[in-house]
Amino acid sequence: MSDEEHHFESKADAGASKTYPQQAGTIRKNGYIVIKGRPCKVVEVSTSKTGKHGHAKCHFVAIDIFNGKKLEDIVPSSHNCDVPHVNRTDYQLIDISEDGFVSLLTENGNTKDDLRLPTDDNLLSQIKDGFSDGKDLVVSVMSSMGEEQICALKDIGPK
Amino acid sequence: MQGFSGGGDGATAELAHLQSTMSAIEAACTSIQMHLNPAAAEATILSLSRSPQPYKACQFILENSQVANARFQAAGAIRDAAIREWAFLTAEDRRSLVSFCLGFAMQHAGSPEGYVLAKVSSVAAQLLKRGWHDFSTAEKETFFHQIKQASLGIHGVHVQFIGINFLESLVSEFSPSTSSAMGLPREFHEQCRRSLELDYLKVFYCWTRDAALSVANKITESDSAVDEVKVCTAALRLILQILNWEFQCNSNGKKGVNVFSSGIRQDAGLSNRSECILVQPGPGWRDILISSRDIVWLLNLYTALRQKFSHEGFSIDCPIAVSARKLIMQYCSLTGTIFPSDNGQLQEHHLLQLLSGIIHWIDPPDLVSKQIECGKSERSLFSESPSAAGYFSDYVLVTHQILLSCLCSEMLDGCRALLAMATVTSPTMFNQLLKSIRPFGTFTLLSTLMCEVIKVLMTKAPDEETWSWEARDILLDTWTALLMPLDSAGGIVLLPPEGVDAAATLFTFIVESELKAASASAFNDDVDSDYLHTSISAMDERLSSYALIARAAIDVAIPLLTRHCTERFTRLHQGGGSLDPTETLEEVYSLLLITGHVLADEGEGETPLVPTAIQRHIADSVVPDKNPVVILCSSIVRFAEQSLNPESRSSFFSPRLMEAIIWFLARWSQTYLMSPEGSQDSSYSSKADNMHQVQSISSGQTVLRYFSEYDHGKTVLDIIVRVAIATFMSYPGEKFLQGLTCYQLLHALVRQKNICIHLVTLESWSKLAIAFANEKMLFMLNASHQKSLAQTLVLSASGFRDSESANQYVRILMGHMTAYLVEISSKNDLKRVAEQPDTILSVTCLLERLRGAASASEPRMQKSIYQMGSSILNSTLILLEVYKHESAVIYLLLKFVVEWVEGQISYLEAQETTVVIDYCMRLLQLYSSHNIGKISLSLSSSLLNDAKSEKYKDLRALLQLLASLCSKDLVDFSSDSLEAHGTSISQVVFYGLHIVTPLISLELLKYPKLCRDYFSLLSHMLEVYPEMVGQLNNEAFSHILETLQFGLHHQDSEVVNMCLRALRALASYHYKETASGKMGLGSHASSLRNPKGELQEGIFSRFLRTTLQLLLFEDYSPDLVGAAADALFPLILCEQGLYQKLGNELIERQANQTFKSRLTNALQSLTSSNQLSCTLDRMNYQRFRKNLTNFLIEVRGFLRIV
Repeated sequence: MSDEEHHFESKADAGASKTYPQQAGTIRKNGYIVIKGRPCKVVEVSTSKTGKHGHAKCHFVAIDIFNGKKLEDIVPSSHNCDVPHVNRTDYQLIDISEDGFVSLLTENGNTKDDLRLPTDDNLLSQIKDGFSDGKDLVVSVMSSMGEEQICALKDIGPK
Repeated sequence: MQGFSGGGDGATAELAHLQSTMSAIEAACTSIQMHLNPAAAEATILSLSRSPQPYKACQFILENSQVANARFQAAGAIRDAAIREWAFLTAEDRRSLVSFCLGFAMQHAGSPEGYVLAKVSSVAAQLLKRGWHDFSTAEKETFFHQIKQASLGIHGVHVQFIGINFLESLVSEFSPSTSSAMGLPREFHEQCRRSLELDYLKVFYCWTRDAALSVANKITESDSAVDEVKVCTAALRLILQILNWEFQCNSNGKKGVNVFSSGIRQDAGLSNRSECILVQPGPGWRDILISSRDIVWLLNLYTALRQKFSHEGFSIDCPIAVSARKLIMQYCSLTGTIFPSDNGQLQEHHLLQLLSGIIHWIDPPDLVSKQIECGKSERSLFSESPSAAGYFSDYVLVTHQILLSCLCSEMLDGCRALLAMATVTSPTMFNQLLKSIRPFGTFTLLSTLMCEVIKVLMTKAPDEETWSWEARDILLDTWTALLMPLDSAGGIVLLPPEGVDAAATLFTFIVESELKAASASAFNDDVDSDYLHTSISAMDERLSSYALIARAAIDVAIPLLTRHCTERFTRLHQGGGSLDPTETLEEVYSLLLITGHVLADEGEGETPLVPTAIQRHIADSVVPDKNPVVILCSSIVRFAEQSLNPESRSSFFSPRLMEAIIWFLARWSQTYLMSPEGSQDSSYSSKADNMHQVQSISSGQTVLRYFSEYDHGKTVLDIIVRVAIATFMSYPGEKFLQGLTCYQLLHALVRQKNICIHLVTLESWSKLAIAFANEKMLFMLNASHQKSLAQTLVLSASGFRDSESANQYVRILMGHMTAYLVEISSKNDLKRVAEQPDTILSVTCLLERLRGAASASEPRMQKSIYQMGSSILNSTLILLEVYKHESAVIYLLLKFVVEWVEGQISYLEAQETTVVIDYCMRLLQLYSSHNIGKISLSLSSSLLNDAKSEKYKDLRALLQLLASLCSKDLVDFSSDSLEAHGTSISQVVFYGLHIVTPLISLELLKYPKLCRDYFSLLSHMLEVYPEMVGQLNNEAFSHILETLQFGLHHQDSEVVNMCLRALRALASYHYKETASGKMGLGSHASSLRNPKGELQEGIFSRFLRTTLQLLLFEDYSPDLVGAAADALFPLILCEQGLYQKLGNELIERQANQTFKSRLTNALQSLTSSNQLSCTLDRMNYQRFRKNLTNFLIEVRGFLRIV
């Protein structure tokens, strides 16, 4: 499917169909989870019981994949949690514009120009430096629940 | 003696120089204390100890400086410099250094800065040890005469203290475990230890005892003998230390000393018990330790102190009392050949003497514990009203606290003394000891004491750290020591009847109080899971001690447990949901734990036997239905079976209760269920009959037969499997419970072949297999539980009689999963579907299951598992592409491949091997193309770290994959050789390394496991296939070289060792090849001009330099010298010209003539002594190792300071 369609879809029903229910007990460390409406990556799972002879519950510590904030949640382990649909697409980086947008080449030859550069100086410089060195860069764009962000960078320059 | 850096311009100049050094050091010391520029100050102080021959300056500082710290540092500098330069100090210098230090300490004995004196005397002790072989006997005698005079108190108490202090540091220096490093081989320390033990230790003991005697009266008579107290405490401490000595020449003084094992004490088994160290001096010590009246004197001293103590409260220093008690305990642990073989009469007398002194600390138990507890409550009363009571209460409070803490520690020490006695005696003798002073035996005392302690413990909150905790643990250890003595491993211990009774009383009491504790804690909500886990392992240890006690009184224990169990089971049924069962549940929970421990031992990977007590126990009746053990086991199994009934499950089988049930079944079934012994039906019993000549059958035999395959075994196995299924199906999300079922219960079952045979015929087992393949509930299990379950199910296939049906079973079991995986990967819209969380979840589960199955590779099922893997090879490559961003899936995929290849590789035929190898190479290339040059960007540092450690795990898996490919060359069961098909494993692995190495950054090598894996693979490759290196291209070759360079300077000595081994292999390969006129490493070895025109050295020249540099000038562990020698020897042979040049450079660099000639000689003998020749054989390697060690001892000292 083309990327335009995809974006259309994500705008049409923001969030709702972008998550799937999954039993809390099956969510592992390094998996994804929705906490307080945000897509997160789980960094810690621990289990405890409600009272000595009660049922197990899971305690999740997770990090928002977009803004890096830490969130926590406790769910009975036989109940369902929402798991976000996290999608990553590779694009070749064509240009970085003055106003903080990037221009990306999609698979079918179109360009995608609606993505902003990260605001964090460190990440920004990693992208800008690579680009200004004239390297051939491929960026991975991570999108989930209607948000997207550049999450990785790869030099595919001449071997 | 030479001056501090050679000042010879007259006395005044020298004095000025000394003054300036002193003030520099003083300034440095002060600034360190004030935290002003500590680095510079440290450098100044270090420069003093590093300068050549700083002795005069140091002595000057010691004698003249007003700053105590400067004196302390000066003493340290003497030590460092003298140890370093010892080899070329004159005999006169050496002697005068020692006597200066000794003399200094004695002269300033009264000085208030005790730590300076302690340092100086420890320096003296170290130097004396360093020169132990150099000093003549007469010289040593002179030193020791001085010490003797001092320690006997001829020069006053202060000097006496110094004398004892010196002896203390001497003894600790000579004991290998506490000695300080001197850069000398282990043998030196060993020789010193022997010499001191044989010639001096006893003498020291006598001096110290006399010292203690000389001051003891003064202490007991007067109130203010503070200095004497100090001396006496030091003396007691020294005696304790001497008794702590690791005596080795105990039998006849001529025990062969094994320098390699002497670091580890033989009684290592004791180390996990409370601090009880056996004291085993030889018979030579008998007259001093036993026959003399020392013990009586010591006990009297303590009694006197105790009285003083109770009258005057805190007026006396506590340390002396503590030392005295410790010493008394130490006397209790005397054992071995010191006692003559007179049926233990002397030992009994000795222990009796001690016990009559100790008994007051612990007897009568109720009174002692009441006193301690009263003290506590009074204290808390005071502390509640601090303002009202005012000054007076503070005063009393302090008194009370001290009194209390002393009462506590005295009581604890009493328990420890009992432990020591229990360790060194037999149960009968132990019991007998008390009989001559009390109407009852020691066992009764032990039992009452422990009941008392538990009673106190019950009143405390579980997290409150009190004396009763400690006392209970010590007393439990005492029981363990009695019931499981170290020398009779596994043998049965016969307790005297009184001991059995005591054990029975105690166990009854223990069970009651545990039950009470359980029901009391039923509503506690343990939030902190970490705390819970530590307490579980502590509890496990405690329960095994309880089990020992129970087994000692097995006649009482089993019926008791049965009664308690039945009572609770009925109570649960009667409750029928109307009452809150929580308290009873918790009681059943702890009953199951206790019963499990009593009935069976932990397997720890082995098949545990029926505990001896149960084995030997003769039941009244041979009818199995009336055997108490059978009754107990059956009642619990029946109870477990009730959990299959949905109604009772919902009303009282809580997850926690199920955990205990599963745990119990796992532990119990390992010992009792279908045990091979029980199956050897008639043949075994007739043999047993012959052995015992009686018609009765032991209880253990009855039980085993009852639960064997011929009797109730199969029914019970069926129940167990059905209970296991229930935990998967009816307890959703209970991870811990399901983990227990997977890892403990089912694993334990399939580990036993005879159980597997029956498992695969059970309908319930095939129900489990079908559910596993199809049931959605089982896809909801934790992924790693699914892996374990897959492994278990595949392993059970070994129960089939022929490999055909086993393979068929595995095919059916795993067929669904491989088909599903192939189906997913061949979907047209895979890219879109793959990202959906539910797809990710099922792919993850499938991979985990496949991984579990792959890890269960056994010859019998090998075929089907190979087919399982080979059918999805293409799919995995597709998934690797699709999930390249989903690191969790990638890792699982790699792990599956690793485990599959590892399990299969050695069985594969050449054709199959080629397929697998091609696949692995494609996998490596694909992985590398996805990841090379990739940078993760994230705002969160912890996510970035995660990304890094995920990469590390991936790479480690890839290295493991290469390593298992490597193993094909070593272990190969296939019928035709691989070379015939034109595949060379070594080529493949080098190629693989070539792909993987660029992904491994120096950053990633900081992960120790990855680093080790990488270097062990690399060094393995270089060692086994050095010829391959010659064929590598320049890029790959230089990469390997850089890594080796890096590895040689790694902190981990294991890594350095592997690099050295690789070097040795390369150099010796090259040397041998060129010697026989071949190419060797060809162009890589010779110097070349690189494209820029610079001369590039050949690899062996580079590494010769590096290795020499490392050996001579850098820090490394002494263990590496052997490996370094092995590498250096062929390197020298390869590059003899360069070696000569380097040697000459080294010699030229030495300014000092003496050093120059020493270095020349040392270099000379490095390559020529011991008839070293130019062939690389084992003999020569060994000779060179020896030469190198001598060389380093000879020259490293002065080379490093220049």
